[in-house]
Amino acid sequence: MMANHTRHILSIRQRLLLAATLVLGAFLGLTGLSLDKAFRSSTEEALNARLLSSVYALLAAAEEGHEGQLKMPDVLTDPRFNRPDSGLYAQVNLYPEGYRWHSGSALGQALSFSKYIAPGESESGRFKMPDREVMGLNFGVVWEDFNGRELKYVLSVAEDLEPIQEQIGTFRDTLFLWLGGAAVLLLLVQGWVLSWGLSPLREVEEALTEIESGRSDKLKGRYPKELNRLTSNINSLIQHAQARQQRYRDSLGDLAHSLKTPLAILQGIADRPGEYPHQTVCDQVVRMNQIVSHQLQRAAASGRHVLTQSIAVEPLVERLMKSLDKVYLDKGIQWHISVEPESHFFGDEGDLMELLGNLMENSCKYGKRQVAVTVTAAKSLYFCIEDDGDGIPDNQIQTVFQRGHRVDTRQPGQGIGMAVAADIVSAYGGQIEIGTSSTFGGAAVHVRFPEN
Amino acid sequence: MRVLLVEDEAEIREPLATRLADHGYTVDSAEDGAEGLFLGREYGIDVGIVDIGLPKMSGIELISELRKLDKNFPILILTARGNWQDKVEGLEAGADDYLVKPFHVEELLARLNALLRRSGGWSQPVLSGGPVSLDTRTQTVSINDEPVELTAYEYKVLEYMMLHAGEVVSKSELTEHIYDQDWDRDSNTIEVFVRRLRKKLDPDEHYKPIETLRGRGYRFALERNL
Repeated sequence: MMANHTRHILSIRQRLLLAATLVLGAFLGLTGLSLDKAFRSSTEEALNARLLSSVYALLAAAEEGHEGQLKMPDVLTDPRFNRPDSGLYAQVNLYPEGYRWHSGSALGQALSFSKYIAPGESESGRFKMPDREVMGLNFGVVWEDFNGRELKYVLSVAEDLEPIQEQIGTFRDTLFLWLGGAAVLLLLVQGWVLSWGLSPLREVEEALTEIESGRSDKLKGRYPKELNRLTSNINSLIQHAQARQQRYRDSLGDLAHSLKTPLAILQGIADRPGEYPHQTVCDQVVRMNQIVSHQLQRAAASGRHVLTQSIAVEPLVERLMKSLDKVYLDKGIQWHISVEPESHFFGDEGDLMELLGNLMENSCKYGKRQVAVTVTAAKSLYFCIEDDGDGIPDNQIQTVFQRGHRVDTRQPGQGIGMAVAADIVSAYGGQIEIGTSSTFGGAAVHVRFPEN
Repeated sequence: MRVLLVEDEAEIREPLATRLADHGYTVDSAEDGAEGLFLGREYGIDVGIVDIGLPKMSGIELISELRKLDKNFPILILTARGNWQDKVEGLEAGADDYLVKPFHVEELLARLNALLRRSGGWSQPVLSGGPVSLDTRTQTVSINDEPVELTAYEYKVLEYMMLHAGEVVSKSELTEHIYDQDWDRDSNTIEVFVRRLRKKLDPDEHYKPIETLRGRGYRFALERNL
């Protein structure tokens, strides 16, 4: 128990909120990352395409020198090539050596990434320049002069990354602002959904507090169907507990009251010794014993309620039969047991055992040799216990049920089995009847329980 | 007859032990299950009275243990609660009968009597073999319906032999089942009782109800009348 206390147990609300937050965070985070990546790669691709078209523009602008070699004009059509530090730079180099040209914009800073590559190939990437980062492209071409020499040029263009990075930064800021906003909003909605969804549970909790404090005696109000079974079971448990408490109280009261008369008689005997026969004391002791046993049994019968498991009847009848066989060995009881398969009793095992034990023992005790137990479970559970004894006369049927109940009944030497059986049956809302067995001629006790 | 009485409440155990002794039983009493098991294991017990609710070892455990040790003497359980759960458990563990507290000692004696008789294979309270009949209820013996006066010890010896009619009963077995204490163990006394019994039951040496098997013991030799 102590170990459980030290470990903190999260409430359902905390669990749901925690899980929702984690899922939402992961989802929004991944969304942000993938959007960011997609935006960056599309921007870079667009830049690459622009660089390639700049290369084509350079080639288009190239002129022929006096020997037919490549010669770039001083001024290009795109003003950005001409304005120093414009962000767009171009350079043309002849390899292995010779002609070197750079655009006006690249004044004072050679495009250091430029290197020889085979004609017809191109190569692009991010490059560091002394004071900036650029996206650069090298493009190899071959140029034939008038003498038929093949001259290998590399055209290099570069564009400043700064404007693009600014663009990406702005996009990122906007993206995370929106996503963050959405996350906060969704969490708020989630919190509200949770408290709305869990509100019936909170109501149950409050209702239970009401019951605990004694202001209420059951869970009132209507609950969603997922909780209906729980709340109705709690209600029936409460009712059951109250009924049991009431029964205990009644039994205690009955017990005290019914013991008073024999006690008064014994008191009288104690006050005037020698005036009463010994038998009177014995009678009173028997009577008190009956009262006590009866009230004990009655208080213990747990009665019917919804949360009981089902008890298979057949094995129980079997066990009782074997036990009684031992006790009544001399009689050599002949049993006629017929229990419908799958007969189940919904209630306490002890109650069923007490009921059948008392009835079956009565038959063993008062019957001559034949005892029959029939159980059917067609619609409701039905027991019939018969024997071949003398039976119970009609005028005594009431008294066997009442034995031990009332203050003025006393039948020394006779058991209270039938009265106990009747109490158990009535605790389950069933019926018990005494008749005559048509097969064996003795008593027949019929017990019928209500349908489930 | 040697009876094992296991009951934790002294107010019940002691008067009951006295009453049992008055009725000719040799009583071994124990106040808890462990002691009960010891006595049941060590002595030749004829019948046991065991309370269900015992300290150290419950009555049900005690009965199971005794049965595991092949101690097959009949056992009567005493239960205060009187519910069937207890009764059935006790009977399933190996008990033979039950009695709910409070009970009349007469009822207990009658049950013990019946159990003893049953364990000897008799279905009636009157044990009868040939012309000899012994009524376990009144503890009287008659030959051809003529009452025979026996001393308490003579009766005990005859009752034990008749209960086990047809079986060989050794002298030490008789001593153990009849006497309380070891100091009484003198096989000569048993021989004296048997000689006197023979004289009283069969003065003409006509029926020869008790047979001596040299070195093994005695046997009640008359056919059981069932």
